[in-house]
Amino acid sequence: MMKKNERYFGEFGGQFVSESLMNTLEELDKAYEESIRDQAFLEEYAYYMKQYVGRKTPLYYAENLSREYGTKTYLKREDLNHTGAHKINNVIGQILLAKRMGKKKVIAETGAGQHGVATATAAALFDMECTVYMGEEDMKRQELNVFRMEMLGAKVACVKSGSRTLKDATNEAIRTWAKTAEDTFYVIGSAVGPYPYPKMVKEFQSVISRESKEQILEAEGRLPDVVMACVGGGSNSIGMFADFIAEPSVRLIGVEAAGLGIASGKHASAMALGKPGTLHGMRSYLLQDDDGNIQVAYSISAGLDYPGVGPEHAYLKDSGRAEYVSITDGEAMDALLELCKLEGIIPAIESAHAIAYAKKQAKQMKEDEIMIICLSGRGDKDVHTVIDYLAQEGK
Amino acid sequence: MQNRIEQKMQELKMKNEKSFITYMTAGLPDMAGCKELIKAQERAGVDVLELGIPFSDPVADGPVIQEASYQSILCGTNLKKVFALMKEARAEGVTVPVVFMMYYNTALHFGLDKFVEECIASGVDGLIIPDLPMEEQDDIKEALKKDGAPILIQLVSPVSAERIPKILEGARGFVYCVSGMGVTGQSGNFHREILRYLSEVKAVSKVPVMMGFGIEQAKDVLPMRDVIDGAIVGSHFIRLLEANNYKPDAAADYCSLFKRELNEL
Repeated sequence: MMKKNERYFGEFGGQFVSESLMNTLEELDKAYEESIRDQAFLEEYAYYMKQYVGRKTPLYYAENLSREYGTKTYLKREDLNHTGAHKINNVIGQILLAKRMGKKKVIAETGAGQHGVATATAAALFDMECTVYMGEEDMKRQELNVFRMEMLGAKVACVKSGSRTLKDATNEAIRTWAKTAEDTFYVIGSAVGPYPYPKMVKEFQSVISRESKEQILEAEGRLPDVVMACVGGGSNSIGMFADFIAEPSVRLIGVEAAGLGIASGKHASAMALGKPGTLHGMRSYLLQDDDGNIQVAYSISAGLDYPGVGPEHAYLKDSGRAEYVSITDGEAMDALLELCKLEGIIPAIESAHAIAYAKKQAKQMKEDEIMIICLSGRGDKDVHTVIDYLAQEGK
Repeated sequence: MQNRIEQKMQELKMKNEKSFITYMTAGLPDMAGCKELIKAQERAGVDVLELGIPFSDPVADGPVIQEASYQSILCGTNLKKVFALMKEARAEGVTVPVVFMMYYNTALHFGLDKFVEECIASGVDGLIIPDLPMEEQDDIKEALKKDGAPILIQLVSPVSAERIPKILEGARGFVYCVSGMGVTGQSGNFHREILRYLSEVKAVSKVPVMMGFGIEQAKDVLPMRDVIDGAIVGSHFIRLLEANNYKPDAAADYCSLFKRELNEL
């Protein structure tokens, strides 16, 4: 059963899509492979990363956090990117590719709205027609991001099927894509989907680890002991891991959302409890019921409640190269508030999952050991959720 | 024993008749009602019957089949129950060829070998798996090597182009030509190059060429009658069943009329 070709990471990945998309994927793969070998394309991408997104982002030595945790803790500040999260790194890459391929329209799926906002932003910049698919539930939870996308000129299509969240928004985007692939580019926001998407998203997000590696060598003169990031579909984490995968001394830790606790059944930990299956064009770990239907994931963070995980993460787990752990809603919220108070940084609830695990991990580390945490996004979008959470907890 | 689909295709060829194939979601209105609908369609002259195995994320389907799939899951339909239904139907003398239309994860989760064994034991003759393009078919083809295993029906789309000959290599039963881009149930929205594309398929296919997606009445396929060997109706049939409270007679009336008109085109 082991598949060993370029479309797979071990036995994960592949292209589980309808026949009508197969030529589209081939065309995309060809255009992508040409682009990343083309100096002009790379220079254009680097230009927008620097001048528009504001890279490179700091690798910030969190002094107070380090004191509190008892180990050297660095934060990779992806929250300081234009639009407030790492999502824009990938979107600029994919939209430049779409432009090169002559596409005039882009579509995207979004959960929390960050990828939708990033796509709407880049579509405005490059004058493309943009439609973002978003679940009805998520539109209620992230009303401000809906307005932001509309202000940027995008159309937000309300998805009322199934769970009315990210999973179903993705289904609807795939359906639309299958209908319109002849003139429309599908900008996938996470390290998921059919090949070549997981590879492409990793490439465009790997700027995170490329910079981090350079920055930590400059600051500390050595590689970190631990690198950590939150995992929904897995785009910031695969970007944070990318340049460290071939460095065996660096431990890679991915943090999934345990929601109300793994035992409660209300969680988004595909790695902890999922089994391999196929969804959204890929074979990977998925949360499924006894009949092989995909379960609805839960997390207080809209960006992590995805029932699957990118195929390369599934491979990194099975091969033992990376470890995957999980953090509950409560632990993430405590960490979020602690980071606000100690460092004056309001992180996204997604990123707070990584911070929360870092605190646990630090207990096993020495004072002079080094840990890098990817602070994937800022928490302004989450203030309402924090208020509701605190009211509910009576805090 | 010869595969029922292949046998049926031969019979139709001898009679110079076109095939009429229906799709309905398994388990609606309930298991017993579904079995009655199968029997009614067989009596009405349906040549091949597609049973949709409901899945939580039917990305190849439009709103009608999505909703039917969702309702069926709520009723508790799963593979095990559909296999039991098939066994009963076969034991009660149903001989119409049956194809499971399903998403790959449902079979994968069940276990491919066990799945194929159950198909053989319950008289399932074919499989249509819309999210399994030829590049990903190795595992299931391996499992389908068993004696009496169902046929994996191949799908082609209006943009398959140079992929067509490769897809059709070794194709059995019939080839399912999707009439347009996208999902099931977009009525009257055939691809602008539909005729050219169907002719291309017809020219290289060794098996009968069926057209599906967006067909409601026999006359919808009039312009294509010379290049297709049959028509498949799904979403429209499901809407009709819903509108008639799943009455077997209503299903039978529609099917016999369609089959007759299809052969009078």
